[in-house]
Amino acid sequence: MSVMLNGLTSFHFLPLAELEVGKQFYWHIGNFNVHGQVLLTSWIVIGSLVLMSVLATRNLQRVPAGTQNLMEYALEFIRDLAKTQIGEKEYRPWVPFIGTLFLFIFVCNWAGALVPWKLIRLPEGELAAPTGDINTTIALALLTSLAYFYAGFRKKGLGYFGNYVQPVPFMLPFKIIEDFTKPLSLSFRLFGNILADELVVGVLVLLVPLFVPLPVMALGLFTSAIQALIFATLAASYIGEAMEDHGEEHGEH
Amino acid sequence: MNPTIAAASVLAAALAVGLGAVGPGIGQGSAAGRAVEGIARQPEAEGKIRGTLLLSLAFMEALTIYGLVVALVLLFANPFV
Amino acid sequence: MMHWTILLATEAAVEEAKGGLFDIDATLPLMAIQFLLLVAILNALFYKPLGKVLDERDSYIRTNQVEAKERLIKAENLAKQYEQELAETRRQAQAVITAAQADAQKIAADKVAEAQREAQAQREQAQQELDRQSRRHCKPWSSRSMPSVAKSWRSCSAESQFRFPS
Repeated sequence: MSVMLNGLTSFHFLPLAELEVGKQFYWHIGNFNVHGQVLLTSWIVIGSLVLMSVLATRNLQRVPAGTQNLMEYALEFIRDLAKTQIGEKEYRPWVPFIGTLFLFIFVCNWAGALVPWKLIRLPEGELAAPTGDINTTIALALLTSLAYFYAGFRKKGLGYFGNYVQPVPFMLPFKIIEDFTKPLSLSFRLFGNILADELVVGVLVLLVPLFVPLPVMALGLFTSAIQALIFATLAASYIGEAMEDHGEEHGEH
Repeated sequence: MNPTIAAASVLAAALAVGLGAVGPGIGQGSAAGRAVEGIARQPEAEGKIRGTLLLSLAFMEALTIYGLVVALVLLFANPFV
Repeated sequence: MMHWTILLATEAAVEEAKGGLFDIDATLPLMAIQFLLLVAILNALFYKPLGKVLDERDSYIRTNQVEAKERLIKAENLAKQYEQELAETRRQAQAVITAAQADAQKIAADKVAEAQREAQAQREQAQQELDRQSRRHCKPWSSRSMPSVAKSWRSCSAESQFRFPS
């Protein structure tokens, strides 16, 4: 199973870098296994987010400065995003969910790329971006699915199923398939992008340890930010889609 | 480990990444070209065009990434070994 | 080779929980739960207070803008009114000036006319006086010799000079 991996690791001579894929630092809680490194990093990310929020809202002023200014910029950005995708009337209750999606993924991605986790040695596996773990991305994608179902049902009740046969009835199987592909593509897109970034940087560092990987790292930072934006945008647009169609239906009939 | 399966997995991984990069590559090229055309025609809309372009490029990029994910599955988490 | 054997050994050891890229386990629900917790915490700590501040600032700016607009309109109205008043005042002043000038001219003309009339009257009076005196003292030209005429003329003019200094 790990033929390639071993080939790669025994290939290099300097012990400067090492490539590890698919190794987890397991914690056993009862009968369950959890990935310790993912949870550790995500706690750090959550802690920093909470810390930033506390710092930003500790001393609220009409003319913002410092942390408040930064977080206000973030909030306005998120509001703008939600407003364009969901619509002026309905977006407000969804700002926390979409905003937290964006902030969590963004900080996770950048934490994985910017913080030198390698300095902390774990018994097995290594600390990295939590979004580079399939569990995290599937969790977020499933939550997004639940969120848009919830939005649809709360807005229209059982009439939400009317969406499935909305333009023409034979769309029904496609719409049902879409419900499965949406979280699948969401989770795999994020997971694949982050993992690919880390792997590419890892392979480059393995081959040329100094300076050469820097542009790729910069590209990785960029991609990470865009992926966070895409995840949040898509979640918002799914939610907006689930709530929106009904009005148009009424308008047409 | 069955050597045939290992060899086939490695080949399949290479094909998944390589072929998976073709389509999105063409799509990204065409999208970027159109975006440049649009900017040349309407330089004042550059910001909007750039934002949309980046978003759509990322979507196309995701297709390649799917191929990469399949390749990674075959290399590191092969269910047939 | 060492790596490999060690890796194989560890893999064999944790056979039932062996790693891998697509190892889905209890991390998933745990992550979902802690993400929802994060949503709740951030909602209380971040979105609500900061959103309130943003909305308040928005309304503050909007009311200020409306007020400023009103004030601007008011100021413009005032300026217009002042301008009108100024023009009115200017017109009035012009009228007053014109009236005063006309008055002054009239008065001056009256005075001049009166003075002229007076002067005329005086001159006429003087002329009459002169005529009378000259008729009394002076003989007609034909009955007198030239020196006597001159003498009498001189006396006449001396007399007239004496009575009319102007």
